[in-house]
Amino acid sequence: MKVIQIKDLHKTYSESEVEVHAVNGVTLDFAEGEFAAIVGPSGSGKTTLLNMIGGLDDPTSGDVKVGGTNMSDLKGEALTDFRLNNIGFVFQSYNLIPVLTAKENTEFVMRLQGKTTQECERRTIELLQAVGLGERINARPSKSSGGQQQRVAVARALASKPKFVLADEPTANLDSKSTETLLDIMEKLNKEENITFVFSTHDARVVKKARRVITIEDGKIISDVRKNGGE
Amino acid sequence: MKRVIQMAWRNIWRNRKRTIITAASIFFALFFAIGMRSFQLGTYGHMIHQSIEAYTGYLQVQSPDYFDEPGLDNAFEYSAELVQNINSNPQVKIAVPRVESFALASIGAKTKGVLVNGIDVEKEAELSNPQRNLVRYRFSSHLMEKVYELDELSKDQIANLKIYGNASFSSLDKISLNCGITNKELLNKIGKLTAFEGNYLQSDDDGILVSDRLSKFMHLSIGDTLVLMGTGYQGSSAAGLFPVRGIIKIPSPELDNKLVYMALPRAQQFFDMENMLTTLAINIHDNGKMLEVQHELDQQLDNELYVVKNWEEFNPILKQTIEGDSAGGLVFIAILYVIVFFGIFGTVLMMIAERKREFGVLNAIGMRKRQLMYVVVIEMVFMGSLGAVMGMLAISPLLYLGNKYPIQMTGQTAKMYEDMGYEAVMPMASFDAYFWWQAIIVIIMVLLASYFPLKSIRKLKLMNALRA
Repeated sequence: MKVIQIKDLHKTYSESEVEVHAVNGVTLDFAEGEFAAIVGPSGSGKTTLLNMIGGLDDPTSGDVKVGGTNMSDLKGEALTDFRLNNIGFVFQSYNLIPVLTAKENTEFVMRLQGKTTQECERRTIELLQAVGLGERINARPSKSSGGQQQRVAVARALASKPKFVLADEPTANLDSKSTETLLDIMEKLNKEENITFVFSTHDARVVKKARRVITIEDGKIISDVRKNGGE
Repeated sequence: MKRVIQMAWRNIWRNRKRTIITAASIFFALFFAIGMRSFQLGTYGHMIHQSIEAYTGYLQVQSPDYFDEPGLDNAFEYSAELVQNINSNPQVKIAVPRVESFALASIGAKTKGVLVNGIDVEKEAELSNPQRNLVRYRFSSHLMEKVYELDELSKDQIANLKIYGNASFSSLDKISLNCGITNKELLNKIGKLTAFEGNYLQSDDDGILVSDRLSKFMHLSIGDTLVLMGTGYQGSSAAGLFPVRGIIKIPSPELDNKLVYMALPRAQQFFDMENMLTTLAINIHDNGKMLEVQHELDQQLDNELYVVKNWEEFNPILKQTIEGDSAGGLVFIAILYVIVFFGIFGTVLMMIAERKREFGVLNAIGMRKRQLMYVVVIEMVFMGSLGAVMGMLAISPLLYLGNKYPIQMTGQTAKMYEDMGYEAVMPMASFDAYFWWQAIIVIIMVLLASYFPLKSIRKLKLMNALRA
């Protein structure tokens, strides 16, 4: 089942008098349960592509459909609500809410969804235990390491039971051990909860774990490799 | 909602110093604004009490033409029905009959125009109560020579007493307050040396009470006889001899220069206006309902014979004085608040600028801009309330004490106040609407200061915010 369908996606920026095609005619699908990495050099357009898939940025042309909904049709609060209920985000610099604890950060999106306290508590504890932070549920971001913060960010991304998770360079600020742990956790959750994970990365360790690797250069897909052999 | 409130509360403590400085600026603004306003309103209340509640009354019943042409010819008939009718209004505390007119006073070679006030001696005790102002001590220069010789007096006390040379006092307490003498034994000695005999009027008295400054000008003593001459009702001639029963000290210097009290029957006889009055002074139970009671009494009475005027109509100078001074005070408070407003505004701008990325992330993960705005507004209200509540709590005990125990001036300052016709006290107003208004103003200021940041959140460009 296709979770994300991208058709002829373009994004053009006008810088001074020069037009930059950050994404140039990308057509792509992601199926349920995929664990995919978008790779490419800096400025290749991978983050721009991810932002458009996540409804954070508007495409110049083309369509992004998530579960059959065309993202271009959604504006304002409808788009925000759509992101809340369908997409999980993991950012490069964690971006946790500094005044909230790990537990509060994780359950934050569920509160926004209007879920009951019991439901929030149950899922939060479950997720924090899954990311190995069952003992640190009351720690604030300032008291946690980068790896721990990113694990909380993964738990937060999954808390709303999204259709897919977009992770923009999730390991860029982590050491090897933390990266290894984080990738194992994400792989485990991907398998257990059957949630699609799409990364943008140029970290070889992420690429190694990914079951599908899409290479992008100058805004165009130059290869799309599935580890089981298909392309 | 609970989470939003919790988040807002924690957010304001992210930059502890900044929050404390902002809350402190609100605290001090509120502290001074309430304190200053309380002194102003307390003073106005005291002025109104002195001039209105304790002299003219809040309302006056007059003949319809009396207001434009105050004179005996515009007097009205004083009847039991009229009094009954006025007293039937439950808000009326007391209605006091008066006859007021001018006459020429003469003794020896001295002559002066005076204001003759014919009063119901018993009823008047419940309104202006002239007896309370009866002069019982007078610091005449020949008596004071003996006072200055008292061993117990310090140099400062002698200096203070000299400020009050030739002054008159109605009680030892007043001497104590004005001259700063607290030793009771010493006060009693000064009292004995400066005692001044004098009596209040009887209800059928044919004597008079003379105001302090007038008595000094005319060199009047108790038992002297004053000649009064004037025009009575409908042009009749009014003349008589009036023994001085007592001297009264009127707070207003203007009145103190010319007032003569006379028992009502004697005044009516003097002016040849049997059973007639120029005014009926009324005090009411709830002064806040003055206009309402005025309207009710107007409805109750025959408007061809009587009109009801309120103090703001018959004493517009006092009203304008209060309004002018009050406006000045409000301008000062407004300036104070404008300064504080820009302080709050600066804080809000900084708070928003440094959290632009955070707002972007929150919006990205599913928090609506409207919810973001709630958080910011709640944060600002918290910060404003923090300063406001602390300011109000800090000023409250001072307000309570300042109202219950007004600041009493002494020495030169007290003399200056009294020369201007004011009692030398600085009372503070009790807790009233003005107190709560300051808190409301702070909240409004905070909300106004939040307008710009709220607008910037509403127009937040998600990608720009995430790149911030």
